[in-house]
Amino acid sequence: MSTLTKYSAIPYTGPAPTNREPYLPTDAAKLDARGAEIAGRVGAERERGQDLPTLIVSKERIVETLRTLKDDLQFTLPLDLWGVDYPEREKRFDLLYQLYSLANNERVRLKVRVGEDEPVDSSLPVFKGFDWFEREVFDMYGVRFAGHPNLRRILTHEAFQGHPLRKDYDPAQRWLCTEKDVAKIIPKIDPRFENVDTDFERVTLNLGPSHPATHGTLRVVVTLDGETIIGAEQEIGYLHRCFEKSCETHTYQQAIPFTDRLNYMSAIINNVGYCMTVEKLLGLEVPQRAQYVRLVLSEFMRIADHLVCIGTNLVDMGALTNFWYLFQPREEIYGLIEACCGARLLPSYTRIGGLAVDVPPDFLQQSQRLVNMLPKYIDDVEKLVDRNKIFLDRTVGVAPISPQDAIDFGFTGPCLRACGVPFDVRKTNPYLGYETYDWDVPIAEGGDTYARYLVRMEEMRQSLRILQQAIDRGLPPGPVMVDNPYVALPPKERVYNEMESLIYHFKLIMHGIQPPVGETYFQVEGGNGELGFYIVSDGSKNPYRVRCRPPCFAIYQAYGRMITGQTIPDAIAALGSLNIIAGELDH
Amino acid sequence: MPIERVKPGVVRVVPRKLTVAERLYIPKVLAGMFVTLRHLIHNLLHYKKLPIISYPEVKRIYSERFRGRHILTTREDGTTRCVACYMCSTACPAECITIEAGEDERTREKFPVRYDIDLLRCVFCGYCVDACPEDAIYMTRDYEMAIDTRARAVVGLRDLVVPPNFPIEPMGWRPYYGSLEKKGTAGGTGIGQPIRQAPYPDEAPPNPDLYRGA
Amino acid sequence: MPVKRIENPESIIARKPGVPPGEEAEKGLITLPGEAEREITDLAGGTYLTTKLDTLIGWARGNSLWPLPFGTACCAIEFMSMVSSHYDISRFGAEVVRFSPRQADLMIVAGTIVDKMAPVLKTIYDQMPEPKYVISMGACATSGGFYRMYHVVQGIDEVIPVDIWVPGCPPTPEGLMYGILKLKEKIERGEIRR
Repeated sequence: MSTLTKYSAIPYTGPAPTNREPYLPTDAAKLDARGAEIAGRVGAERERGQDLPTLIVSKERIVETLRTLKDDLQFTLPLDLWGVDYPEREKRFDLLYQLYSLANNERVRLKVRVGEDEPVDSSLPVFKGFDWFEREVFDMYGVRFAGHPNLRRILTHEAFQGHPLRKDYDPAQRWLCTEKDVAKIIPKIDPRFENVDTDFERVTLNLGPSHPATHGTLRVVVTLDGETIIGAEQEIGYLHRCFEKSCETHTYQQAIPFTDRLNYMSAIINNVGYCMTVEKLLGLEVPQRAQYVRLVLSEFMRIADHLVCIGTNLVDMGALTNFWYLFQPREEIYGLIEACCGARLLPSYTRIGGLAVDVPPDFLQQSQRLVNMLPKYIDDVEKLVDRNKIFLDRTVGVAPISPQDAIDFGFTGPCLRACGVPFDVRKTNPYLGYETYDWDVPIAEGGDTYARYLVRMEEMRQSLRILQQAIDRGLPPGPVMVDNPYVALPPKERVYNEMESLIYHFKLIMHGIQPPVGETYFQVEGGNGELGFYIVSDGSKNPYRVRCRPPCFAIYQAYGRMITGQTIPDAIAALGSLNIIAGELDH
Repeated sequence: MPIERVKPGVVRVVPRKLTVAERLYIPKVLAGMFVTLRHLIHNLLHYKKLPIISYPEVKRIYSERFRGRHILTTREDGTTRCVACYMCSTACPAECITIEAGEDERTREKFPVRYDIDLLRCVFCGYCVDACPEDAIYMTRDYEMAIDTRARAVVGLRDLVVPPNFPIEPMGWRPYYGSLEKKGTAGGTGIGQPIRQAPYPDEAPPNPDLYRGA
Repeated sequence: MPVKRIENPESIIARKPGVPPGEEAEKGLITLPGEAEREITDLAGGTYLTTKLDTLIGWARGNSLWPLPFGTACCAIEFMSMVSSHYDISRFGAEVVRFSPRQADLMIVAGTIVDKMAPVLKTIYDQMPEPKYVISMGACATSGGFYRMYHVVQGIDEVIPVDIWVPGCPPTPEGLMYGILKLKEKIERGEIRR
């Protein structure tokens, strides 16, 4: 490679990208029409050229608009609420609400422009699920919500000053937090138990952030009446690693390792979600081979996620053997991923436009071997646990939630499917070719811990079904990266020998990918539910705003309600079944 | 677990009610113990094929793409391939590479006077290897990096530079090559690298010694 | 009691143990960080009887480390992998994973420590009885990793004293085991007097 070959005359003839024209989604006309329709029903303006029907609502009318959307147009699931800061505008903050309609399978986005010291009415009377999202917006931007019962900081600590996601906040400015600043929480007593006459004293117990059974850094403060929990409040933020601010200070490509660390149990799914969002913004079509490998590895990592969830849930209940049985297949999956890209747990395998490197030649044989081996371990755990009366006593009827409540809180993923609602992003908004495989979405009835366990076990079997079909189809031939030198690094041979490729390489490393100006949202099915990424691009090499919609954020806010009336062991069993991953929860 | 179809694409998991025998705790406990006993006897009889790695007597050999500790390669005449172009330090998301460039008197080439990698900051993502235009930085399969003095964590040229003609085969994450005929990037596992064969049949558990790459 | 040396016969880089890092590098031998094995050549001020007692106590302490996995993030998963049957830390006597600081002596901080969690970490460390050792596992715990951000502690050194740092993101279970074995050696040699 040190000798110069003849100058190779294969110039790039594709379209040169430009980041001066704004981003326009492919079916903009249809979306605009639907947006106009919804805006007409609700009585608001609409914004053109967005990838979802978008309404612009004034802040006085936001609550009634949400109510109309919920009651008349059946947008019952509150997906997300976040903000974007445009400091040069007069009303600097943009609050974005995103709702989903289970009946019609569509999403709608609402934008509210808020100035610096203007309070907004809280939307808690309409959707219970915006509770913590409003606290997060207050924490990150300083927008106050009038009528919110508990408007405190949620992700940063009590002694934090300033609002970190504002553009004028220095990313490295830290504040000291000492023992005196740890929040003293007295949970509110649930109305059902308020006037109960009791001989016992009420005790406040702190299941602290360093606890064997809270998987990761979760804190729950419970008020006990004897053994029964009569009030509970959760405190999060003990792993707030500033993912969204990190993405603003790094380039699009450098943000991929950060996305790994969100849901670290199934890291490839986060990579895929982020890369597909940026590819949607760029309008790229990823090669078939890369899509296939992304699908296969996503399913393997989904199985790995569920394995750990069930394993640790069982450990909390005392069934330690299953933990050993379920970690062995996880080691095998690690072996496959390590052979593909070099790291066991946090691969950063996908790149924008495809994959980092091609898979090794024995990829299909190894996958087949794994698919043959995994059912044995899952069957063993089922034999030990499924029909076991001790396990059933500990999980049936524990921490139930009704489907209406679950939808109102914004549940997605296995926790919602355990209530009987068959919502799966892979079926409703298919990506990577999920619609071409023959598989089913498992649901269960009851919404309790046992139902969540059943759904996860069956989901693993459905994932194995998809994998077997994929392996039977075989690996599509071809490249694993798009052929666009403005997005993908050229192969090393060309970089060492050709001037143009060296310049493309240099520009990509130094200046990064520069997508067109615009904003976009894309969702994938993570291990816990709908994992959405929203990216605002201003044409430069750093994203202007990256928002990750964490599925367990919405799920964990309902936890306090789910465990009131139960005992502490029930609370621990329920927490394990929700699969709360602190990296994703605190993003 | 019995499942019933609700509509195309959706199945419901319906647990059966427990039988009388299962309601008494003992039969199920005995069945569970039978499962674990089966595992125990299987492991005792097939002791050599246990899927375990008894580190440090047995060391697992990772694949040729493993992202371990870095090295800087040299040319045949002893000069480092690195020309201090700062691409690796720009590509690094953790900003852990510090370079100072100097000029070589004889050949007028740039070379690094100082090249420090802070191993405690590094996230071992491999972006520096992808970014290098000179084939200078590789990652090895070495993962034994625990230190007891913090100052030793910053590895400099002394610890990173390897002698010329260093064997590439036992390396880990390396710059990947494509082929000039194929369009697109990263088309292969590397020029001249022997490919890994599938080493074992389907039923046998993985033996760590057989994870030999290259 | 002879000290167990950790050799690495399959290392791709020829090493010369016992040499401080940097020397002999130009001859093609490299000492990697942490590899300088120092011999204790004198009795460090004690007598024959007390050194034998010290050695016995060091042997006992080193072979019965009870870890307190202060696991916050992804490194905790690799710690769990190390505890499970594939790699199995219980061969070194460290199987008993105690989450109560009163009963543990080795705190493995696995994962990012953020400013909100730092007082909790300090409280747990203070509650541990002497002798106590700390291993800081992974990039985030040792130095904040690639989170140079407003809420992340840039290394748990700011809060508690650390004995062994294990780089990696996450470190492989063998890498962490190497760190624990290094700590075991240090305890047996009596270098940690706490």
